[in-house]
Amino acid sequence: MDHPIRVSSSERNHKKSDKDMAVEKISDVEFGEVLPAFTPDTSLENVKKFVSAAGWDSPRFTDHEAAKEQGLPAALVPGIMSQGFLSAMIHHWAPNAEIKMIDTVFRAPCLVDDQYNINGVVTDIDTEKGSVEIDLTVTNSANETRVFGTANILI
Amino acid sequence: MTGQDSIDVESLREEFLGQVFDEYVFSLDADQLAQYAQSCGETASKFTDPNDPDFQAPPTIASSFNPRKAYPDNFPSFQGLGMDAGKSVHLEKPMRAGEQITAKTSMHDIYTKSGRSGRMVFFVNRMTMVDSQGVVLGSSDTSVVIREKPQEE
Amino acid sequence: MILDMHAHSIKSDDGRAKVENYCQWIKAKNISIDGFVLTEHRQFDNESDYSELGKANNITILKGSEVETEYGHVLVFGVTLALQDEFDFSNINLELEKVIEACNKHGAVAVPCHPGRPRVGMAAHLEEFGVPSGVEIVEVYNGGSRENEDEIAIQMAEELSCAGIGGSDAHIVSQIGKCGTKFDAPIETIDELVEALKSNSFTAIKLQQEQ
Repeated sequence: MDHPIRVSSSERNHKKSDKDMAVEKISDVEFGEVLPAFTPDTSLENVKKFVSAAGWDSPRFTDHEAAKEQGLPAALVPGIMSQGFLSAMIHHWAPNAEIKMIDTVFRAPCLVDDQYNINGVVTDIDTEKGSVEIDLTVTNSANETRVFGTANILI
Repeated sequence: MTGQDSIDVESLREEFLGQVFDEYVFSLDADQLAQYAQSCGETASKFTDPNDPDFQAPPTIASSFNPRKAYPDNFPSFQGLGMDAGKSVHLEKPMRAGEQITAKTSMHDIYTKSGRSGRMVFFVNRMTMVDSQGVVLGSSDTSVVIREKPQEE
Repeated sequence: MILDMHAHSIKSDDGRAKVENYCQWIKAKNISIDGFVLTEHRQFDNESDYSELGKANNITILKGSEVETEYGHVLVFGVTLALQDEFDFSNINLELEKVIEACNKHGAVAVPCHPGRPRVGMAAHLEEFGVPSGVEIVEVYNGGSRENEDEIAIQMAEELSCAGIGGSDAHIVSQIGKCGTKFDAPIETIDELVEALKSNSFTAIKLQQEQ
């Protein structure tokens, strides 16, 4: 099986949204706006770096065979890493955003070396408070939702 | 070990909900924060470069904090594979490298449900974090699920 | 009249949508539904009253439940206090035939949902437990279905001569209205919904939206 070329975190494959510029202020945000999605690096190499940094060094994340021995289909991308991907997507879209709340449900596991899309859409804007609510999803190549949730940010 | 059929959720809730069962103090390492952020795809230097004047932990870092004990003392152990079912983070202010953080954890909820992978029991712990001045930095809820059988995929 | 028959709010343990935000989304995105039914997991929300919110937005907002049985999950429409006294909605080991019996006694309707889904769908349990009596309607379109789960549901419905409804199974705002149920007559109350379900005057439809 050919392994896809892994890109570094600085070379994400961003889908372009309708807007050319990053969001800088609340008036730049549109209700229903789709955040630029990206395909994160879920390679074993990157997951190993992540769990080492997080202090979550467990074979279920770093070793496909060990994960299978635990009854898992393969090594897992930690849920907190998926949450980190979602947070990064928000920051790509609105570099000045301050995430005040991010809440994710891990509906099904994300597997190391599989491809996923990180998605978001604006579902509420409070111009007085300067806050934006965003629906979040992580979907697989079959467009099935593996993670969903919401974030509340200040711009 | 307790099987899921014998779980008395109401008794567990009465006995364990709300009590702080773990407290510890720690600080965050700049290089680890930078790597954490880079691996998640963050590109802003305030998250990826410890030399940035506004260098700070990525907001989801609080999800990675684990209490020293997963459960209160005398909490029954359960059969099955435990996995993260969800995480939520509320942030009052950014966390910084070197900052001394006190984390207190209590059990917030216990419930059962059924899903694609069979019957499951959920435990939700809440961790609150304060800095050395006692200022609240934020909180994070961790939902752990014990499935009676591993994921079907 | 099109209703999304299966949606969750923050009242459900894994729901993350506020009801007012569902309304805002439906209107702003011109979602082709006239209303939705909140079917919270393992409970009936006796407290919340969405009538004013519904009127303000010209959206029908009704309440039901999603309970758990040996045949998987089941939507219940027409929940009353008396029905809630018949069985514990939070119990994940309910018996489907007893749920149906209780619903029949109290004028409610029980509809197995996502029947094509592994473990929590009815089709997965027919071999073990047999065909349950009293099931007349099943959910054939579910917005959260994977792979061929809806196809399994449709096939089972045909084999068992069940009518079919559709619902999004939305847990976040942007998922509302992916699937729905088209009714012949207008529906503004839960009694009218139950009446329409019992008279078999509806069709399941898919309303997928691209974001």
